[in-house]
Amino acid sequence: MKSNIFLFGYGRLGHTIVEVLKDTSFHFQVIESSSSRYDQAQENGYDTIYLDITKDEELEMLAVKAEDYLICVMDDEHLNVFLILSLRALFPKTTILAISTSIHATQKMKMAGATKVIDLYQVSANRIHNILKKPVATKLLDDFLIREDGISFKEIVIPVHSYLVGKLVNNIDFQQHGVIVIGFINMSYSRKFIFITSGLNHQLNPGDMIVCIGEYEKLKAFEQYIKRSQK
Amino acid sequence: MIINGIIRFAYWINGSYRYRVIKTFFTNLLTNSDYPYKRYLDGVMIFLILTSVGILIYEVQHPIPEWMDIYDLYVVSVIFLIEYLLRLWVYNDLHKMIIRDYEQARFLSKKFSFVAIVKKIVLTKIEYISSPLALIDLLAILPAYRPFRILRIFVLFRVFKLLRYTKSINQFVEVLSHKRFELFTLLFLLLFIVTSAGIAIYVFEERTNDNINSLFDALYWALVTISTVGYGDISPVTSEGRVVSMLIIVSGLTMISFMTSVIVSAFSEKLGELKENRFIEETNKNEEFLIICGYGQMAKMFLRQNKQHNYKYVVVDKDKKRIEDALKEGHKAIHEDASRHDTIAKFNIKYANITLLCLTESDIENIYITLNAKSLSKKIKVIAWVVDTKMKKKYELAGVDHLLLPSNIANMMLLTAINQPVMYYGIHAILAGEDAAHIDEVNVINYSRLIGKVIQEIEFKERKLLLLGIQRGEHGSFIFNPKSDTVLEEHDILLLMGLDISIEHFKEQYEGSLI
Repeated sequence: MKSNIFLFGYGRLGHTIVEVLKDTSFHFQVIESSSSRYDQAQENGYDTIYLDITKDEELEMLAVKAEDYLICVMDDEHLNVFLILSLRALFPKTTILAISTSIHATQKMKMAGATKVIDLYQVSANRIHNILKKPVATKLLDDFLIREDGISFKEIVIPVHSYLVGKLVNNIDFQQHGVIVIGFINMSYSRKFIFITSGLNHQLNPGDMIVCIGEYEKLKAFEQYIKRSQK
Repeated sequence: MIINGIIRFAYWINGSYRYRVIKTFFTNLLTNSDYPYKRYLDGVMIFLILTSVGILIYEVQHPIPEWMDIYDLYVVSVIFLIEYLLRLWVYNDLHKMIIRDYEQARFLSKKFSFVAIVKKIVLTKIEYISSPLALIDLLAILPAYRPFRILRIFVLFRVFKLLRYTKSINQFVEVLSHKRFELFTLLFLLLFIVTSAGIAIYVFEERTNDNINSLFDALYWALVTISTVGYGDISPVTSEGRVVSMLIIVSGLTMISFMTSVIVSAFSEKLGELKENRFIEETNKNEEFLIICGYGQMAKMFLRQNKQHNYKYVVVDKDKKRIEDALKEGHKAIHEDASRHDTIAKFNIKYANITLLCLTESDIENIYITLNAKSLSKKIKVIAWVVDTKMKKKYELAGVDHLLLPSNIANMMLLTAINQPVMYYGIHAILAGEDAAHIDEVNVINYSRLIGKVIQEIEFKERKLLLLGIQRGEHGSFIFNPKSDTVLEEHDILLLMGLDISIEHFKEQYEGSLI
C-alpha cells in the first residue's frame, strides 16, 4: 500500500511544499477551509478537499490510514495547534509533521501530538552558525540537500545473501567503492540509528540498514555490489 | 632653477609608492582610531604624560635625581616634539598642492607663482598650528626649555594632551559643546553681574572697607560671593554693600541651578548616543564580529544559540521598542537604521572581518541593507534571510554571500521525513551538530604536523573519525572521500565527523610544533 499525504493549509508554507511534493511520486491532497484558497489550489490543478478543519466529523471523513502522512501548515498558528490536537485524537498512529514559525509554537505542537516539528527559526539559526563556523561542511550539506553535486544519502538494507553478513561494520573497507558509511541501524535490536563514529561496532545481519553518502551513481553501484554473496 | 627642482621633487614624491605607504602608516597611527596599532601609541603617550606630571609633583618637595630630569627633559619632550612634527606633516599633502597649482598655471598658460604657493602652504600649516589641540601639543613641549622655571607649569598642558588619547574626556567636551549657546549665554550673564556688582562694591566701600583696595579685589569678592563659595576674607561693611551682596547671592543661586540643569539635560539627551558609541567602540576592538540587523524572532533564536558559540555581535534595529527589548535581554543594541551609509560606516570596516546578518522581516529592507554594506566594502560578508523565496534572484544580484531560505530547508527536511525517515534523524543530527554527528573543520595550517602526511598514516578509523573530504585552499576544489594515498597540503581544510571528544583529541595530538 502506498502512503498518501494530506497537506493541511494552502498558505504561505503550503504553497512551497506543494511545489516540492508535486515532483515526488506520492499522491497528495490539499485540505483547505478557506474558500478563496480552495479555489486557488484547484485552479493550480491540485487535488483539493474543502472542509471545516475545526469540526471533527468532517476530519473523520478523510480516508486516513496509519501509514499516511499528515502535514500541518496552516498560516494561523493557533488553528494549526488545534488541528494537530484533533488529528492526533482521531488518528493515533499516523505520522503528523508540522512546521513551526515561532519559537513558542514548537513546544506546543509537540505537546499536541505532532510526530516531527520542524522549527523554521531554529533550523535557520543553526544554519547561520554553521556558515560562520564550518563553511566547508555547510556547503557539503547543502549539496546533500539540494543534490546538485551528485553527492547524496542512501539507506541500503543488507540483503540475506550479501557478503557483508556476519562482518563487523568497522572492519569493512568501503573506500574502494567511493562511498562513506556514516551509520547503521541494527534491526534486530534497538532499531535506532547509530553513527559509525560513536565507537560502537556491530556485526551485520540480514535486514540491517547502512546509511551511506557518496555520488549517486556510485551509491547505486554499491547497492548492487553488496547483493553478491562473494567479495 | 630651484623652483624647477622643487616641482620635480613634488612629482617624484607624488609617484613614490614608498612615501605613500609611510605617510598612510603615520596618518593611521596618529589619527585613525580604528587602526589596530594606534592603541599602542596611545598607551605609550599616556604613560609619558603621567610620568612627566608625576615628576612635576615629586619635584615640589624633593630634589629629583638626575636621570629623572634627563628623562623628563629629553625623552618626553623629544618624543612630544617628534609627535608634533609628524602631526604637522600628516595634516595635508604639500606636494599635491604644489602640483595642482603648477598644473593649473600651465593649463591657463599663466606664470607659476612660487611665492603664492609658499604663502598658501604656510597658511594651511598655520591653520593646523592654531587649532586648540595643536596649541596644547606645542605648549606641552615647552617645559623642556629650562632657563624659565615658570615654564614648568606648562607640564600641566601635558595633562591636557590626555584629551587626544582618552575618549571619555573628548565625549564630555562634545556633549557640553552641544549646549554651547546656553552655556555662553550664562557665561555672559555671569560676567555682566560680576562686573556690575564688583564696580558697585568698589564705589561703595573702597574707602571704608580695609580689605578692598583695588577694583580687582572687588571683582574677586563678587565672583566668590556669586558662586556661593564665600571665603569671607572680604565682606561688605556698609549697608549699601550688603544690599549688593544680597542681590548677587540671589542671582548666583538661580544661575547655578540654571547651569546644573543645562549640563544635566545635555547629558541625559546624549546618554543613549554615548552608550551606543561605547558599544560600537567595544565591538570594533574585535578582529571579527557580527552586525545583526533586525531584532525579530530570527535574531532572538540566533542569539539564544549564540550563548554556546560566543560570537561577538551588535544588534542594530530602527525600532525603538525592539532595541529596548534587546537591551533588557542584555544584548549590545543600537537604535539605528542599518540601511543608512553612516550607520555601517561607524564600524571598523577596514580592519575587522565583519559579517552582516540581515534578519529583518522585509525583503526590501534586507536587500537595501545588503547593497548598502556592499557599497561600503566588498569585504563585508552578508548572510541574508529571505522572506519570500521569489526574491532569491534579487538577493543574489545584490551580492549576498549566503542566503537563508528557511522554507527550502524546511521542505527538504519534510521530504526526507517522508522519503527516508531514518535519514531524517541523521540529517537533523548533522544540521543541529548533535553528539556523534559533530562535523568539524580542521585547518591544516594550524596543525602543521599534518602537512605532508598521507591520509592512510593518520588512521582516522582508529580514532573513530570519519574523513568526509578535503577542501583544497580557500577557493579550491572539494575532494569528497579522498583516496588513502592523498597527501595533505598546507592550505587544506579537513572535514571530519565524529564525537566532540574524538575531534578534540585529534586536534590536541596534531597541534603546534613540528616535533
